[in-house]
Amino acid sequence: MEAVLPVRASSKSWIRDWVLTVDHKKIGIMYGVTSIFFFLVSGLFALLVRTDLLVPSGLFSMQTYNEFFTMHATIMIFSVIIPLLTGAFGNYLVPLMIGARDMAFPRMNALSYWLYLASGIVLILSMFFGMPDAGWTAYPPYSIQSTGPGIDLWVMAIHIAGLSSILGAINFVVTIHKMRAPGMTYNRMPLFVWSMLVTAYMQIFGTPALAGAVTTLLADRHFGTVFYDATAGGDPMLYQHLFWFYSHPAVYIMILPAFGIISEVLPVFARKPIFGYHAIAYSSVAIGFLGFFVWAHHMFVAGMAMSAGIPFMISSLIIAVPTSVKIFNWLATLWRGAVEYTVPMMYASLGFIGSFIIGGFSGVIVAAVPLDMHLHDTYFVVAHIHYVLFGGSVMTIMAGLHYWFPKVTGRMFNERLGHVSFWFYFIGTQVTFFPMHLLGLAGMPRRYATYAPEFQFWNDVATIGSYILGIGTLIIVFNLFYSAKYGKKVGNNPWRARTLEWTVSSPPPAHNFSKLPVVTQNPYQAYTVEELEGTVG
Amino acid sequence: MVAIASWLPTELTQMSHQVDRLFYIMLGIIAFFFVLVEVLLITFLVRYRRSRLNAVGANVHGNNKLELLWTLVPAVVLVFMGVSCVKYVYAMQTPPAKPEVIQVTGHMWAWESQYPNGLKTRDDLRVPAGENVLFKITSTDVVHGFYIPAVRIQQDALPGRQTEFWMKADAADVGKVFDVPCDQYCGLQHSLMDAKMTVMTPADYERWKQSELAKQQQSSGQ
Repeated sequence: MEAVLPVRASSKSWIRDWVLTVDHKKIGIMYGVTSIFFFLVSGLFALLVRTDLLVPSGLFSMQTYNEFFTMHATIMIFSVIIPLLTGAFGNYLVPLMIGARDMAFPRMNALSYWLYLASGIVLILSMFFGMPDAGWTAYPPYSIQSTGPGIDLWVMAIHIAGLSSILGAINFVVTIHKMRAPGMTYNRMPLFVWSMLVTAYMQIFGTPALAGAVTTLLADRHFGTVFYDATAGGDPMLYQHLFWFYSHPAVYIMILPAFGIISEVLPVFARKPIFGYHAIAYSSVAIGFLGFFVWAHHMFVAGMAMSAGIPFMISSLIIAVPTSVKIFNWLATLWRGAVEYTVPMMYASLGFIGSFIIGGFSGVIVAAVPLDMHLHDTYFVVAHIHYVLFGGSVMTIMAGLHYWFPKVTGRMFNERLGHVSFWFYFIGTQVTFFPMHLLGLAGMPRRYATYAPEFQFWNDVATIGSYILGIGTLIIVFNLFYSAKYGKKVGNNPWRARTLEWTVSSPPPAHNFSKLPVVTQNPYQAYTVEELEGTVG
Repeated sequence: MVAIASWLPTELTQMSHQVDRLFYIMLGIIAFFFVLVEVLLITFLVRYRRSRLNAVGANVHGNNKLELLWTLVPAVVLVFMGVSCVKYVYAMQTPPAKPEVIQVTGHMWAWESQYPNGLKTRDDLRVPAGENVLFKITSTDVVHGFYIPAVRIQQDALPGRQTEFWMKADAADVGKVFDVPCDQYCGLQHSLMDAKMTVMTPADYERWKQSELAKQQQSSGQ
């Protein structure tokens, strides 16, 4: 039976249109705009951190520096990368890609957005009540001793973000399992949907551990409990176990959807089916599963026996296998392709693959217990995580923002400016983060407000790189927001992409599909010369 | 003109020579795959760019033999890396018999060392060259990270727990001074928490311990 959709006159009320909306596309856009705002805030903190490190004695006070790096990481992880990838891309794309009219629980979807916004506001507020200075990891006992309500608000922000995350994840799991269009079997789902399914399960399974960690932290701070008080029989290491049981999988929560975006962008602009659909889909599942068995590789030097690190070293090395399977399949997708150098393709190919593999390889080095004994808590780790989260996640977010921009707005961004921003990003990433490997090898510890003079040269290089990234970011944000209003209008499918969201108008109608699509194959099929006529390239 | 630190620092111990060799082996393997991936990436991007002659990509969906190849080769290489690390872990973990035991205690923000004769020093660590030294590490307040880059080892200093590692400085480095930074974030002056470790001949080390203890007893007796 064909469902009859109520036709609603477009409302002039801004509140009805946005604040009360339960439309997954509008919620996705709100997630996107909000997290881009937080990206600018958190990026500003990063630039201040780098500016402080221009001189060995530090330009700001040490307290200020400690607060800045704490805020940079917390906002970037909880208010930018996770919500951008799952909240913005996931929300906007998953129902469209599986041929559904909305998420399974639209009101709960709106609730997750508003909780996310509340969490970000609480986090920003914490800056004005004694800014948190315990690092984003907030290890006790320091985080318990640190005074002022800043850290309490920080804990509250994490709680609210976690709740938002779990609600969102439940929504994705139910939507993907139950709302797929006729004929959309699991093995016909777009690879982005596969990656979102695995990500959602990881969020549901991992986030409660984080909630447990920060709740007990709060109890130790205010209610006289002794979970982490060694003098009373507590144990600070317990916090680290709970924290990393969430926070290592969180790295995969921040990279799996990115892998999904790459798997969508590469075949479209290589004008070729994706190579190894099943291998890419199932390797995401493998990463999601193995991701819960590696957490203690953050704790090789934290007080466990060195040999207790061996199983975690092995599991961390094994998780590199499904990751390299993906890399080789992406390379094989380019092989014998007809590659178009569009802006999203530049970010996805040279930008993402070219940078992310450095983070993957440095991950193999720090996973090795004997080498981690030297490199742990040095700038080598800072280099590693930024090649994964910036060279990997953020680079891909930029690929995705440019790729789906014409779908969301019905307009095209300025391509010339897009290419300029790409080169700022690509060069800036290498100049900022590569020197950090060298600093780490030389033994410079992380989270240092001041440092020895022999570390100045590479610190200054990194700081210059961060300014290049700052300029690149401003260009991207200007380009996207300006073009959303003034960009050239384009048709429904300017890229000639194959996933279902490109079969509807740009922007898509309120309920996506007036008639549910019937799916007969996966979206990665060969191109013909005729259908590509008139495209760029 | 200040030197620019860009690479691994001095190798102070036999263990650090060995660990660095392991690092270079792993770096070599990684460099090979890194170059392979980057070269393939750039070659494919340039060689298979879209043109009038190359208007669409080939209709290829995958190849099971290739999938098997690039699953098994990384798996074998990674397992090889893991296995070759194991013996170093046990060598680092197992202290030799009858070492000189130095108790290290982290405070906000200084390293206190206590020697077997009861001598205590602050941010002034001394070790005898050619002898096994075992550090027993703890903290009185928050978590610190006891890290000696020249030895390539660190262990966190935790309140209520004891961690340890051992070292044996090469005789060639007598008289040299090395940094002992805190590398686990510990609050305001984290970056200023940095002891100096001096390598001495065993005889000098014994003399220093005695005379320093006598000096301290004298000044506290007054």
